Amino acid sequence: MSTRILDLAQVIRSKNAGPFELTFDIMFEDPAAYERVKKSGAINAALVARLYKISHNQVVVCRPYDPALAFKITIRRPVSSGDLGESDVYGCQQHVPLTMIEVPSA
Amino acid sequence: MDEVVGLAPSGSLGSGYNLEAFRRGLEENPDFIGQDAGSTDMGPYYNGTASLFLPRATYKHDLSIMLRAARERKIPLIVGSVFTSGARKQLDEGVAVIKEIAAEAGLSFRMAVIDAELDKADLKRRASAHRGLESLGPEQALTDAAIDRAGPICAQMGVEPIIKALDQGAEVVIAGRACDDVLFAALPIMRGFDRGLALHMGKILECAGISAVPCDLAEPMVGRVRRDHFIVRPGNPEHRCTPISVAAHSLYERGDPCIQPGPGGINDLTDSRFEQEDARTVRVVGSRFIPDEVYKVKLEGAEFVGYRSIVMVGIRDAVMIRQLDSVLAEARQRALRRFPMWQEEACHLDYHVYGRDAVMRGLEPNPGFVPQEVGLLIEAVAGRQELANAIAMFVRGTMQHASYPGIITTAGNLAYPFSPFNVPVGPAYRFSVYHLLPLEDPCEIFPMEMVEVRN
Repeated sequence: MSTRILDLAQVIRSKNAGPFELTFDIMFEDPAAYERVKKSGAINAALVARLYKISHNQVVVCRPYDPALAFKITIRRPVSSGDLGESDVYGCQQHVPLTMIEVPSA
Repeated sequence: MDEVVGLAPSGSLGSGYNLEAFRRGLEENPDFIGQDAGSTDMGPYYNGTASLFLPRATYKHDLSIMLRAARERKIPLIVGSVFTSGARKQLDEGVAVIKEIAAEAGLSFRMAVIDAELDKADLKRRASAHRGLESLGPEQALTDAAIDRAGPICAQMGVEPIIKALDQGAEVVIAGRACDDVLFAALPIMRGFDRGLALHMGKILECAGISAVPCDLAEPMVGRVRRDHFIVRPGNPEHRCTPISVAAHSLYERGDPCIQPGPGGINDLTDSRFEQEDARTVRVVGSRFIPDEVYKVKLEGAEFVGYRSIVMVGIRDAVMIRQLDSVLAEARQRALRRFPMWQEEACHLDYHVYGRDAVMRGLEPNPGFVPQEVGLLIEAVAGRQELANAIAMFVRGTMQHASYPGIITTAGNLAYPFSPFNVPVGPAYRFSVYHLLPLEDPCEIFPMEMVEVRN
């Protein structure tokens, strides 16, 4: 049995980190839920590359951050913020693929 | 108490802030008021044109309240990235606004104006001496041609130019582009407090109440840097900071939560700890500044890519929606034939299919979704506004009466929400300068002018 990340995390958000990167935060209120996801290894750079259909080297950061009970993920933007081909200048609606993460049972 | 106290009125100058909470913040006896007034977040247009993101009057309204409060208490007001991208034209507007407020309120003070826009001839010499500079995003090195193509190019200043202004007795500091956190870190660092702690507190204060619960940009925040820690709390007594809310802010808009590069070094938050001090206050320890061997500042600039023109329409017919991609492709082919100067004049045609994949485009996890209706934004960009308008209207006209297998709506395919159909948007830009410039002296490209404002 696996659990949907939406049933464990309270915040899943995206935003620009400068004009050339898109950054994601997956945040938990419950330390046990955070620890469970961290231990499972479910969130990793290979998964992020697959979910966003991008190559592995486009994933710049993918790591847990204990003080905020959070995972931090950063990828290169498909185009720089506001360039031709833009769809989301702030980059704040690009989180949806992360909501599909399934966390395996311990 | 051995401390420096900073008050941050608003996370977004010009959007208003909670004045009652601001008044409570003032009761905490701040040593200065700091306010960030810009960002690259709203996209390259503001860098390219050096225009203001919000109406001038809204900036004046927000600044008027904090300037009066700062003068009443005889504490410095430090405003950076004035207004929006911190170029000279926007800085001049900021100085004019401050002088207007001073005249209206009968205020007199010493004001430092710090320019962050680079002289292009000087930048060319510096860039070629450093082989085009290290890029943080753009494919291209910073060549003379790239510098010429860009609009105003600004550098994000560090704490040093602001410390210099305060040291020379500035009571108001109006700075062009500045790294957000330095507006709050300058006075504590000047008074000998730890750089890592001061910058980390600055990073939290620059967005004001966004690191509190509930999270709200319009809620003022108070921060106190002490010898071995700092504390933060919101001005609003109903709101509170928690270790999670403050730690979470270390993630916000930053690529890496632990390693945060800025002018002159990185702030290392790997060993930062966040503890609840009292019900509404969080104490932070352990943030460490690691200076770079060579002091570097980040440059920002955007280049013109053409004039944009748009048409927004709705489509409800199911037969057409099922074949939308082929209809769009056919309209594009006809446009390419109709406008033979397409390549030569760098024309660009884009479709944004709202209801399907306009928001995520290539990143969309469910690209095959067939909606009940779609909003279609037709976007044309070309070297001349007239040409962009012509392309957008040609594509609209072609689609309006396009034929496709099984068509039942032979009187027209597109629903228009208003007349006229075409909206000329004006010049369009892309970020083309995002490079690191080495400096020998952190102040050398940030000239300061000291102005005695007398009323």
